[in-house]
Amino acid sequence: MPELISAYRPIAGVTDEMVGADGTVKPGWRDVMGALDQLGAEELNARFQRADQYLRDAGVFYRMYEGSEQGEREWPLAHIPLIIADSEWQQIEAGLAQRADLLETVVADIYGENELVREGLLPPELIAANPEFLRPVVGVEPQNGYHLHFCAFELGRGPDGRWWVLGDRTQAPSGAGFALENRVATTRALPDIFGRLHVRRLAGFFRDFRNALTGMGGNGSGRVAILTPGPHNETYFEHAYIARYLGFLLVEGEDMVVVEGQVMVRTISGLKPVSVLWRRLDGDFTDPLELRQDSEIGTPGLAEAVRRGSVNFVNALGAGILETRALAAFLPAIARARMDTDLLLPNIATWWCGGEDALDYVRDNIGSLLIGPAFSTLLSIDDNGETRDGTTATPQDREDLLARITGDPGAYAAQEAVKLSTAPVYVDGVLEPRPITLRVYAARTPNGWSIMPGGFARVGYTLDNAAIAMQRGGQAADVWVVSDTPVEQISLLAEANATIERNPSGNLPSRAGDNLIWLGRYAERCEAMVRILRAYHMRMAETGTDTHPLLVSTTDYLEPLGLDTVEPIPQGLLAIVDGAVRSASQIRDRFSPDGWLALTDLQKTANRFARTIKPGDDATRALTILLRKLAGFSGLVNENMYRFAGWRFLEIGRRVERGIQIADAAAWLSAPEMPDGATEMLLEIGDSVMTHRRRYGYSLGNLGAVELLVTDPLNPRSVMFQLTELLEQLKALPRGLVDGQLSAPARLALQLQTQLAVVETPDVDVAMLADLSAGVAGVSESISMTYFG
Amino acid sequence: MLYDLKLKLDYTYDVPVSGGRHLARVFPLHSPGIQKVVAAGLTLSPQPAEHSVFVDFFGSQVTALAYRSPHDALEITMTARVEVERDDPDIDFSPDLGGLRAEIAAHWDLGARSPHHFLSASPRIRLDPEITAYARESLGSTTTVRQAANDLCLRIFNDFTYDGEATLVDTPVSEAFGLKRGVCQDFAHIMIAGLRGLGIPAGYVSGFLRTLPPKGQPRLEGADAMHAWVNVWCGREAGWVEFDPTNAIRAGQDHIVIGYGRDYSDVTPIVGVLRSAGGHETTQAVDVIEVP
Repeated sequence: MPELISAYRPIAGVTDEMVGADGTVKPGWRDVMGALDQLGAEELNARFQRADQYLRDAGVFYRMYEGSEQGEREWPLAHIPLIIADSEWQQIEAGLAQRADLLETVVADIYGENELVREGLLPPELIAANPEFLRPVVGVEPQNGYHLHFCAFELGRGPDGRWWVLGDRTQAPSGAGFALENRVATTRALPDIFGRLHVRRLAGFFRDFRNALTGMGGNGSGRVAILTPGPHNETYFEHAYIARYLGFLLVEGEDMVVVEGQVMVRTISGLKPVSVLWRRLDGDFTDPLELRQDSEIGTPGLAEAVRRGSVNFVNALGAGILETRALAAFLPAIARARMDTDLLLPNIATWWCGGEDALDYVRDNIGSLLIGPAFSTLLSIDDNGETRDGTTATPQDREDLLARITGDPGAYAAQEAVKLSTAPVYVDGVLEPRPITLRVYAARTPNGWSIMPGGFARVGYTLDNAAIAMQRGGQAADVWVVSDTPVEQISLLAEANATIERNPSGNLPSRAGDNLIWLGRYAERCEAMVRILRAYHMRMAETGTDTHPLLVSTTDYLEPLGLDTVEPIPQGLLAIVDGAVRSASQIRDRFSPDGWLALTDLQKTANRFARTIKPGDDATRALTILLRKLAGFSGLVNENMYRFAGWRFLEIGRRVERGIQIADAAAWLSAPEMPDGATEMLLEIGDSVMTHRRRYGYSLGNLGAVELLVTDPLNPRSVMFQLTELLEQLKALPRGLVDGQLSAPARLALQLQTQLAVVETPDVDVAMLADLSAGVAGVSESISMTYFG
Repeated sequence: MLYDLKLKLDYTYDVPVSGGRHLARVFPLHSPGIQKVVAAGLTLSPQPAEHSVFVDFFGSQVTALAYRSPHDALEITMTARVEVERDDPDIDFSPDLGGLRAEIAAHWDLGARSPHHFLSASPRIRLDPEITAYARESLGSTTTVRQAANDLCLRIFNDFTYDGEATLVDTPVSEAFGLKRGVCQDFAHIMIAGLRGLGIPAGYVSGFLRTLPPKGQPRLEGADAMHAWVNVWCGREAGWVEFDPTNAIRAGQDHIVIGYGRDYSDVTPIVGVLRSAGGHETTQAVDVIEVP
């Protein structure tokens, strides 16, 4: 027996996933633990760190809402997978497929004939008073015939050893992408063991669902998009991840517009129709016109598009009503009435207090029940705030609770308090038991429900059931469904005999294009400001004073730009970095994880410097480090981004900003009244000192600098060079050059470039440079009007 | 009674709006037994890019409009001829509150007129213990549900002051209740909140009210008003009965219905999402003219 197992102490009276009540070790576990034993504690720690490192590098995070700690959190992976035998898993699969069919029957009836209500199987007040009952879609049959396409179920194993359904997720189930990442990270840590066991693969599930969604889009013309609430949502990472993994468009409400009842996405190539929306936001937020009028993340007219049958939602609007806690009380009877069978997988015993018999039962058994809001869509165990635990309540608490229930019985539902089963987690070299629940995903395919084989379990951080909630410190673990026989090896990448399908480059949503431009602009603006600040501090260190005329002039130049030279790393500079991070965070689906890491690293470093750095030499060194990190970011992005329209917008942003910054700096530093040293500073800011020396020696001061940084077509820092590049990129964009006709921004860029090309360097003056700067800004505005309006 | 109706809604925008979608619920409801719509039409300026009509869950006719080009004003004019057929005999078939509860519990139906839709909180109406306590006083002196509703209707009329300045269209019901002031929308919401607090199904009615000019004075054009009152489910036998707490009467020959809902949000005359930076101004003119 592996030592890890022999030292493991499950809790008496609680089912354990690894060790049976009689002390026998369940199949699969012995192999895993034996292998872990052999590795030894040191190697094991190193491997678990490797898994964590993978998750960090991949940028896997979720957002916290609760408590004092807000913001992004690293994905809390419990490193030891949960092992379940395939024979047992097949029972779960059959049970969930049956349950998903039952839920479809119920939701179709709620929004259709209402026979369940008329036959007394479903109380009308549970529907009519339900905030998830969306009246605008009553009587609307989904275009493809089904309300449910993607569901998740939370399962727990009780002391009797059976799996119970604790909750149904039908609104916008999250976590499937995290399941994939659990798998990748866990197999990074334990590749040898994973390879030896016959663990069922997850990719087939995603392949089937991708094909099902694409098939729903109709005759190839329709597009599938994933509708996200945006970067502020707790699982935005996962939306972007799934979009990247499956190759679907990621859109937000404001990216879409409804025209003649058809949903269209605003893309840089104009409006493109969408026929399938896999929504990751609650149904009532989708349309501020007919649903929640205060929704700022919806699209006016979506409900009308649904009524006209031009779009299929996954899942249909209104399907969230199935998550209602009290509804579970009625499902067993509905299954018997409609399917003539008992549920293969029972749900947790539930009582809706609005029924008289149920209320009596709850009165008599309150000590063994969890009691909470009837309309809650949270699991009882996830809901400490609203749900009371009768097993731990004092007699006085119970009495108060019963009084509240009697006052408004229909508002309460009770569920049996179940001791969840435990599974081992690895803590400081030993295994300890922790409560677990399974999250299992089901996807509708033309061949019926496909159930994701494993991938996601939640693990408590203490022995308390409630400690499972991820928001309160619970962890996630991979689930390995282990077969006795070899399993099918699947990857989404290679399908035999597949025809090559290429996504056209014009699919970029306008919002993404806009964010890419701004990312490019912020990054470039940041570089320009860092160069000016470095030149300032270098001179201050040399002269030992900030009263030198050139330094005073620098202070005056930066002040209207929001940068205060008194601060070595000005707040204004941090704001520019924040702007870049903000723009990048909106488009995580189009961004390499490495680029994101480089950018957030820059942000962290700049903020740290702002607290510690002193003016002069210290600041010069710090600014040089920032410059290097910026170059790292630009290099990563430039070398790794496919030359799709997205990259072009990023590049356009850089060229626009550099054009403006250089023109402005030249106007400032080449002005006739400027003090000595201005020319050198201009060359330094334009990173062209060496070129200048090589090309002009020491002979041609100011004039040479202006030529090099303004009119020279070969210097990659010159305004001329930016205009040429800008024009090339604008021509290459969709609608950039059609039948010999240039787009409006391309025409403007050509005009500026031509004007500058025929200017003699001595004729370049401050006014001309100011016009040039304004002209480039005008190109940027024209791009917005043309592509993002 | 036969009426010619005219409703004119004018929106002027500070900054031209680049487009927008609107839902208009302005047509009178065709509901035999209450009123029949003989003819109705809508004129719009400017002409919208899209114009379609559908019937919503509670039976209102909704006009969906979409604009795609910039405009700085929007003018919506509805004209209709309506025959009011209300015949509201003053006979009370309603049960007491206990009887009503039993009838509701036996009502296994989810249709638009089902009382179940009108018992709980809705987007604009939270149940408020203070309003419920206020409404409860109407139970003491009465025996039937209809009497209780009637009593509450009269008390709101007596205890509250009509004041067009005190509240805004989105003032919370509890706040209007605290002020003891407001307009027809506030009074209707307060009465609904009170009745629901007691377990009596109550809904919101949006419509028009014919007003008569003071004796000896001519009728002023556009002087009538959009109006709101309350629909109360008084049991299986008595059905829905409409009360107007602003005027302390049951809805009668002068009340013309546009639509029924749980509260104002279900029957808002114009719901609109604009793409605009600035604010806007609205004017509204109503004429209800009796056709001899």
